[in-house]
Amino acid sequence: MSATLGISANYHDAAAALVVDGTLVAAMQEERFSRIKNDPSLPLSAARACLALAKLDAKDLTRVVFYENPYRKLERVLTMSLRTFPRSLTQFPRAIASQLSGKLQVLDELSSRLGVRRDRVTHREHHESHAASAFFLSPFERAAVLTVDAVGEETTTALWLGEGRSLKALERIAFPHSLGLLYSALTAWCGFEVNEGEYKVMGLAAFGQPRFRDEFTKLVTLAPDGSFSLGLDFFDSHTNTEVGFSPKLEALLGPRRSPGTPWDLTSDRDRRVADVACTLQTVLEEALLGLARRAKERTGANALCLAGGVGLNAVANARLARESGFRDFFVQPAAGDAGAALGAAILGALDLGDARPAPLESLALGLPVTSDDARTIAKNLGLVATPLSGPDDVAELLAKGEILACAEGRFEFGPRALGNRSLLALPTPIAVKERLNRVIKRREPFRPFAPAVLEAGAPRFFEPFAERLAPFMVTVAGVKAEARPSLEAVTHVDGTARVQTVKADSRFGAIIDAVGRRTGTPVVLNTSLNGKGDPIVASVADAFAFFLGHSADALVVDDVLIRKP
Amino acid sequence: MLSVRTVKDLVGHFAKQNRLVLIPLLVVLLLAAVLLVLTQGLAYVTPFVYALF
Ligand SMILES: [Fe+2]
Repeated sequence: MSATLGISANYHDAAAALVVDGTLVAAMQEERFSRIKNDPSLPLSAARACLALAKLDAKDLTRVVFYENPYRKLERVLTMSLRTFPRSLTQFPRAIASQLSGKLQVLDELSSRLGVRRDRVTHREHHESHAASAFFLSPFERAAVLTVDAVGEETTTALWLGEGRSLKALERIAFPHSLGLLYSALTAWCGFEVNEGEYKVMGLAAFGQPRFRDEFTKLVTLAPDGSFSLGLDFFDSHTNTEVGFSPKLEALLGPRRSPGTPWDLTSDRDRRVADVACTLQTVLEEALLGLARRAKERTGANALCLAGGVGLNAVANARLARESGFRDFFVQPAAGDAGAALGAAILGALDLGDARPAPLESLALGLPVTSDDARTIAKNLGLVATPLSGPDDVAELLAKGEILACAEGRFEFGPRALGNRSLLALPTPIAVKERLNRVIKRREPFRPFAPAVLEAGAPRFFEPFAERLAPFMVTVAGVKAEARPSLEAVTHVDGTARVQTVKADSRFGAIIDAVGRRTGTPVVLNTSLNGKGDPIVASVADAFAFFLGHSADALVVDDVLIRKP
Repeated sequence: MLSVRTVKDLVGHFAKQNRLVLIPLLVVLLLAAVLLVLTQGLAYVTPFVYALF
């Protein structure tokens, strides 16, 4: 038997993934255990949970693979500090302190904290891990692979050719030229938190017009060969890590929006912000199309795979699926750094001679909930627990207009809840969206919710979309005009929706189907089960904590219904 | 502290041909940094923007 643990940590959302004999058996983010959103610390709880689930011990691990090269990262910090000297002086001590206070010795740390022999702990390269997660979990035998993020060691964008069990690097673009950093800097300019606010920028873009094209040609240059470069005067990531842009950006686009001010999209100020977001989105899409064109040229492949944080941009993915010129397209749905743990684990397993893993079918790779636990906790808290006979009962409550907090089976890996840790409601009327946005999730009123639809029923409601992406909620689809009245709460202002297709033979599918039989619309609003600023619920206890703190109508854990007295 | 294996890998990385020039710099910088850390002169605070280092 061989068992390989992949680890990503130290910068963004840390995660662990376990491959046993060529099968991906578990993958979890540390935030689900520490309850700190995007927790970057060493994912020891997640790693132990993966092992426990596979009934393995740390000493059974053949290999632990860290997702990036800590030495090359240090090298980048040093060389960038030199290149931007003396401006870097203000940041350099911090950068070095961060490297020496754990990041450089991460492999030692993993070995001692997990209890794995040091010679079994290795590392790969950041973009290689991203690329592996995308290609080896895709169904393709041969594909071009693009990895696009903010920055790894020093690569920010890379093109690969995947063939069978091999992955070959073809071209790279290096820091500081980075689409991820461009998006992050503008996210900060829009007044959102970097690493969290990128989705908000994407949602906001739909409200704007791309009227800052001229200004953006100064920020980013797209070359005919598909490469790009940033106007470095406007970005200041190594000398000003507070915001990542220089005063010149504010001179060009206007003053940044103050974080936390209430939104008024009818005001000139906020319309301007929406227009900048829209221009940014358009430019990002064009940059990605350029990269895809290049990928096609270099590889002649029929299929394209994508990973790296930029792959979380569902709107851009939809455009790539339509216009990239590839016949088939797969986005590894945990495209950010957490998902690189998958790639690291798979690379380690392939090295050991394991078979290539099966194409990704489900992201339910976390720990399960049980209804026994739910009954016990409900009793201890004095809540009313009643048994449910099945999906039909859940559908009955939804059809009455209730908003249900649902926890079922194993929690999902990656940033999306796909039904196992979800808040569910009917996709209409619009008041549902208002209630969810303002009262339960307490987020900006312009943010859309996603519809989950039965696979077979999707064409009735949506324009054609990338079917391979929709099960994982990493694309958007146009909502057909005649369907909009029945999908008010899940249709974004531009008439699109971040559609999730669900197979009829799953429990979630059975719920949607039963809702359809009652309302005529086999669609359910699905949003992640978490409060503002919290990670998505993992355990039964987390689900109760959410339910007690928020105004959902009822909590469903497997086949138990819990209500507040 | 760093394990023997990590020190070996670190030196191995920077000893590659095209990075030889970095070694003196690296040594000086690392010494300065180790001193700073030992004297508690530094604390790493996560910045607002994308975590670059
Ligand atoms: Fe990354």
